[in-house]
Amino acid sequence: MSSDAQIRAPSPIQRLRTVLFSQEGILFLILVVVVAVLAGRSDAFFTPRNLLNQGRLMSEVGLVALPMTFIIITGGIDLSVGSILGLCAVLLGVLWGGLGLPLGLVLVLVLLVGVLAGLFNALLIVRVGVPPLIMTLATLALYRGLAQGISEARSVTGYPEWFFRFGQGNVAGLPTQLGLFIVMAILAAVVLRSTTLGRTLYAIGNNPVGARFSGLPVGRNLALIYAFSGLMAALAAIIFVSRVTTTRSDMGSGLELDAIAAVVLGGTSIFGGKGSILGTVIGLVLIQLLKNGLALMGVTSDATIIVIGTMLILAILVNNFIQNRRAGI
Amino acid sequence: MAELLRLTGVHKSFAGVQALRGVDFEVRPGEVHALLGENGAGKSTLIKTIAGVHKPDLGELFWEGQPVTLNNPRDAQRLGIDTIYQELSLYPELTVAENIFMGHAPRRRVGPFRVMDWEAMFRRAQGLLTDLDAADLDVRRKVGTLSVGNRQRVEIAKALSLNAKLLIMDEPTAALTETDVEQLFRITRLLRERGVGVVYISHKLGEVFALADRVTVLRDGGYIGTKSVADTSEGELISMMVGRTIGALFPKQEAEVGDVVLELRNLTREPYTRRVSLKLRAGEIVGLAGLVGSGRSETAQVVFGILPAQSGEILVQGAPVTIRDPAGAVSHGIAYVPEDRGTQGLIRQMTVRENVSLAVLRSVARGGFIDVGRETALAQDAIHRFGIRAYGPEQPVGKLSGGNQQKVVVGKWLASDPKVLIIDEPTRGVDVGAKAEIHRLISQLAAERGLAILMISSELPEILGMSDRILVMRGGRVVGEYARAEATQEVVGEAMMSERVGAA
Repeated sequence: MSSDAQIRAPSPIQRLRTVLFSQEGILFLILVVVVAVLAGRSDAFFTPRNLLNQGRLMSEVGLVALPMTFIIITGGIDLSVGSILGLCAVLLGVLWGGLGLPLGLVLVLVLLVGVLAGLFNALLIVRVGVPPLIMTLATLALYRGLAQGISEARSVTGYPEWFFRFGQGNVAGLPTQLGLFIVMAILAAVVLRSTTLGRTLYAIGNNPVGARFSGLPVGRNLALIYAFSGLMAALAAIIFVSRVTTTRSDMGSGLELDAIAAVVLGGTSIFGGKGSILGTVIGLVLIQLLKNGLALMGVTSDATIIVIGTMLILAILVNNFIQNRRAGI
Repeated sequence: MAELLRLTGVHKSFAGVQALRGVDFEVRPGEVHALLGENGAGKSTLIKTIAGVHKPDLGELFWEGQPVTLNNPRDAQRLGIDTIYQELSLYPELTVAENIFMGHAPRRRVGPFRVMDWEAMFRRAQGLLTDLDAADLDVRRKVGTLSVGNRQRVEIAKALSLNAKLLIMDEPTAALTETDVEQLFRITRLLRERGVGVVYISHKLGEVFALADRVTVLRDGGYIGTKSVADTSEGELISMMVGRTIGALFPKQEAEVGDVVLELRNLTREPYTRRVSLKLRAGEIVGLAGLVGSGRSETAQVVFGILPAQSGEILVQGAPVTIRDPAGAVSHGIAYVPEDRGTQGLIRQMTVRENVSLAVLRSVARGGFIDVGRETALAQDAIHRFGIRAYGPEQPVGKLSGGNQQKVVVGKWLASDPKVLIIDEPTRGVDVGAKAEIHRLISQLAAERGLAILMISSELPEILGMSDRILVMRGGRVVGEYARAEATQEVVGEAMMSERVGAA
């Protein structure tokens, strides 16, 4: 047997290469190249003002992409986040504008509704064993339908001035929501890397049977991350409403796909077991800057979508090629 | 005629494990030839060699007196060899007739095209089933709606539609009801009258005596002998199957047996665990013997909370406990080293460090944050104590050998500081050297740490060599209990297989 090869530890150079050629490393290089090219093509692109504004626009998808990373690492998916965002936005308008509840209380209630929506997903996924894809596809329709039914096609406007801080204001020179996203992303990264919860999520994604046979609380942890997903969608709803100053029932439709695209581009395996928050963040930034940079170059939005789709495929192909080469077979 | 099929001196090994070593085997036309042996004796490898799935490393095959080489199952089929495996290979969404004629459906010409001749297919399928005394089976029904027994008839009809001269049946009665078994016997005798040779694999000695003309016994991949059924007895066959010398492979350490740590009272979870009662004492190794499907692993999984009990009691150190999930079992000091290392025991993609801490994740963490230093120390300790051959805690366990993987699983559970260790097939897929190490380790754990150990094994010598006490399960029940001194291969083997012992 090739036992000698089996028990040799990797050398420092091998380890450096592991970091450089990791999914995140390659993606970061691609990001640098893209930024350099776009900056060369348009003067308006690489300015603090533009970049911060892009950060503002990116934050809603970003907040949802964090729990999405957790969920995809466990081998699941949450397609209902866009609809949860829509439902929460509509409820915000109706509870404040329609029922006249104090806005502070309304915000808390909306966050609670997000958590409940996520827990309902988890309930059937964990207890009944409905595949996450099916369950959240169903609630994608269900929550959106609720949003439409409650709103009755009316939009609510006229929020007080302080409420616009979330979507339009700045904190310490950063757009409020970008600051919030950065804090949440760091927290999520720490949880995933260093806590028992994070370890359990990887274990579930790699081998759910093995995780169960090890006595890990599989069901409880799944419930937690789907609830977290609902909470982040509700938070994104508040920011969205604050940014655009109105509520409509179609808010956030398609958001789930943007979030999943960022997560998968960031190197998280759709089969579970592998992935990182850092990768997701780079994926998000890459997509957002491509959209913006191409628009500034005068590319039409239809063509932009094509370029982004192509970039996604290329990035994944390059990565697969390099990862397979590194696997050495 | 002399013979249909003859194999001489067949050797076959997989990745260094010798599955067959010099096996001779012969089937005559119109003969039911039973193939007997313990789990892992080489029966499956032998029939797969006959069916063209495996090519022998050494040895020859003769078909009707001519030497032949089978490169794939199609070669075997062309000669007239067909196999009915334990997992039936039918298409549930297709009709009985379509399944029978899969791949060789009757066709007819319509202008320039050759199309399916449905009429002919249904007619001929009906004919084949009538021949098999199964005319009542509707050839237009979907196979998915049939009982297991009827599906088997479809498989047999399929083999006959290919003009099979030799039919291999791999444990055909494992999932059948009694009436289905009778009908299968009738069909098998029918085939024999027609000159078809049948290779019949079964664990059930009663079936061998009811059906077979001759019987061949394998053990550890070796050929033990062929007997005419008329000239042999259950006792002789059992001793041929299990009769191995127990060498120094099992260095059992004498241990002081203490108080009862785990007690089961009428523990039940249908259909595999039926009113199981047993006691485990500190420092004691209890062997749980039985055939595959006798309910041993399932009972372990009831205790461990994977398949929570429907009724009955579990007592830990005299106090009744309720165990609903593995986390509950762990909190009561019960550890389970499962049978299937790859999927149940380990997370192969993760490192030794990450696997060893998996069952004690919360205690290597402070406020939810994993203390990697403590984790590494734990892994290093396991590596040194059990002699795990890995380059260090950071090696992914998927790249370790079977024996080393098993030591990682044991290390993982010992980290949880259990009182009871249930260990299921501890040395399956482990090479001989590592086997002895694992045996010494188990023995040590009982003697030095006072663990109460329940060891499930399909290898009788392992059970006999290691255990202080031996329990035998059959059909979900404990049917026998033997002290170390009174347990012999014959006594335990008979309890495992024979309907006569401990009949309920």
